[in-house]
Amino acid sequence: MCKALAAEPWPENAALYQQLKDEQILLSDNASSLAVQAFLQMCNLPVRVVCRANAEYMSPSGKVPFIHVGNQVVSELGPIVQFVKAKGHSLSDGLDEVQKAEMKAYMELVNNMLLTAELYLQWCDDVTVEEITHLRYGSPYPWPLNRILSYQKQWEIRRKMKAIGWAGKSLEQVLEDVDQCCQALSQRLGTQPYFFNKQCKGLTFQYRRLVPKIRPTELDALVFGHLFTILTTQLTSDELSEKVKNYSNLIAFCRRIEQQYFEGHDKDSSSSATSRSAKRSLLR
Amino acid sequence: MGTVHARSLEPLPMSGPDFGALGEEAELVEVEPEAKQEILENKDVVVQHVHFDGLGRTKDDIIMYEICDVFKAKNLIDVMKKSHEAREKLLRLGIFRQVEVLIDTCQGDDALPNGLDVTFEVTELRRLTGSYNTMVGNNEGSMVLGLKFPNLFGRAEKVTFQFSYGTKETSYGLSFFKPQPGNFERNFSVNLYKVTGQFPWSSLRETDRGVSTEFNFPIWKTNHTLKWEGVWRELGCLARTASFSVREESGHSLKSSLSELAGYTGGDVSFLKEDFEFQLNKQLLWDSVFSASLWGGMLVPIGDKPSSIADRFYLGGPTSVRGFSMYSIGPQSEGDYLGGEAYWAGGLHLYTPLPFRPGRGGFGDLFRTHFFLNAGNLCNLNYGDGPRAHLRKLAEYIRWSYGAGIVLRLGNIARLELNYCFPMGVQSGDRICDGVQFGAGIRFL
Repeated sequence: MCKALAAEPWPENAALYQQLKDEQILLSDNASSLAVQAFLQMCNLPVRVVCRANAEYMSPSGKVPFIHVGNQVVSELGPIVQFVKAKGHSLSDGLDEVQKAEMKAYMELVNNMLLTAELYLQWCDDVTVEEITHLRYGSPYPWPLNRILSYQKQWEIRRKMKAIGWAGKSLEQVLEDVDQCCQALSQRLGTQPYFFNKQCKGLTFQYRRLVPKIRPTELDALVFGHLFTILTTQLTSDELSEKVKNYSNLIAFCRRIEQQYFEGHDKDSSSSATSRSAKRSLLR
Repeated sequence: MGTVHARSLEPLPMSGPDFGALGEEAELVEVEPEAKQEILENKDVVVQHVHFDGLGRTKDDIIMYEICDVFKAKNLIDVMKKSHEAREKLLRLGIFRQVEVLIDTCQGDDALPNGLDVTFEVTELRRLTGSYNTMVGNNEGSMVLGLKFPNLFGRAEKVTFQFSYGTKETSYGLSFFKPQPGNFERNFSVNLYKVTGQFPWSSLRETDRGVSTEFNFPIWKTNHTLKWEGVWRELGCLARTASFSVREESGHSLKSSLSELAGYTGGDVSFLKEDFEFQLNKQLLWDSVFSASLWGGMLVPIGDKPSSIADRFYLGGPTSVRGFSMYSIGPQSEGDYLGGEAYWAGGLHLYTPLPFRPGRGGFGDLFRTHFFLNAGNLCNLNYGDGPRAHLRKLAEYIRWSYGAGIVLRLGNIARLELNYCFPMGVQSGDRICDGVQFGAGIRFL
């Protein structure tokens, strides 16, 4: 990223693109989008969410979400973190090398376990595919295009699953993997507010006292995006969200981030996706 | 009995060869009678048999339809005429390489004295034929490979597979054609195709997968075509640096259209598109020709969905308004041209032979010098306004250019031009090509 672009300040009209919220977006994409939204909130960079039926095809990498900042288009959390860093905002600056490596490792864990499990459930579990995925994925398109696009995507995901060795797994095994992943995250989090609790410059007013600021990192944003979406999405069965619910500190973690970064914003932004009162269904 | 080849219509003498006035001394030599010749012109004949030699996989019933008229012939001239017509009909089926007709007097036990046998000797086309050609379009060229299965099931069905690889587009298609037996003008065909195109002026990549069915049928004295086409269109960005407006159009859409009206039978692309061309040529003194042409078009979206970049009109280039880069006039975003919903373009040309007429009578005749004046405009219309407002919008910011060059005619179809252009009326955003511009194509403004 050349210095000239980095020098441009964050514009007012930065936009984040994802699929249509109510009818189209699937669990995995919603989780990824929420993770990026959380990250940008944590960096205090305003962004508005724009829903487009063709968001997936607009994206330069084919994955959502992507952000349109100035005349740059960047997709997926990893590159977005790099992009934001080049503009001078970073959440993980305060970490030392060992911690950075650890953070990367946990982010890999979430991507390889949680995200893949979400994809498996959406595209390889026949019940979910029939009752939810096929109806949602192609819904903005007319027949027979909706069916064609849905089957095409399913074929692509199943091929990817075969390549990484998940094709032979059963649903129980996948849920076991999710449980193990949550266990690892829960253990790492412990009783702390965030995964890495490096104290940053400045004080913040909390509990009627000035306390040193502890800021979340991109790992927190990523974990929040996935866990919160799993907890608040209604699927054909509750098995997936039950796995997360076993770990109370993870639930508290999600609530904390939601309270701090999403509540109190207007309806248009991500907060409408994070109401936790009822079990809001993002699917069906 | 001899054989009459239906070639000459000259009447033959009634009696044997005319020896003319011979002396009494002439011996009457027994001459083997060459042929029993009669004037058959007005004689009633009956076509008793029609033979076919050389039929392989062709089924009998479609042949019967084409030749049934031969049986109705009443005299020899009629037989020859109807046989000739039958021969033409058989050839237009597209299943025979050659058809020869022989008319013979009837032989055999059941032969009538005025009975005739008509024999069609046919050579069927091979089961599989291949072809290779090159095509030249407007500033693009392509290689076309074709495979044809004529007369697939014996009733003039045809299956064609075509693969075309070109500078702008790559496509392949499979088509099946079936005429109605006995009624060749009534036919239908089904087409499956996939076309991939690249349009660098818009940083756009387009893939179309389509199926179309077409019914042809004659009504009264005219031929009508009813065509339905369904296309799955996928648009994408050609480069990472494509403008966001083009990026926004990426994705899939379905277009279902009946003849020219799109969207009437489903799909999510709906519009009415009209395009017209006029040309006027007038010969002047000294072998020069004055030519005027006018093009125009309009795209009206139906409903509230905006028009798609792939359906809009484009303007500019060596084959339209010269002096501007290919399709580089009109609305654009970050260097990518988005096309417009309405356009007009006009040209005035004067063609003269090359100065001093080199190569006259031969190669030099293919060349012409060419002076031109082109003008045009491309924009999006606000459909809420009336026609006055539309005309006003099309009349402002007219781009025009003038120049001169050399034109080479290739056959009767294609043309090569090398011009020196002066573009004028250039608006911000247009890309010009002032100076030398080369163009090759079929359709020029």
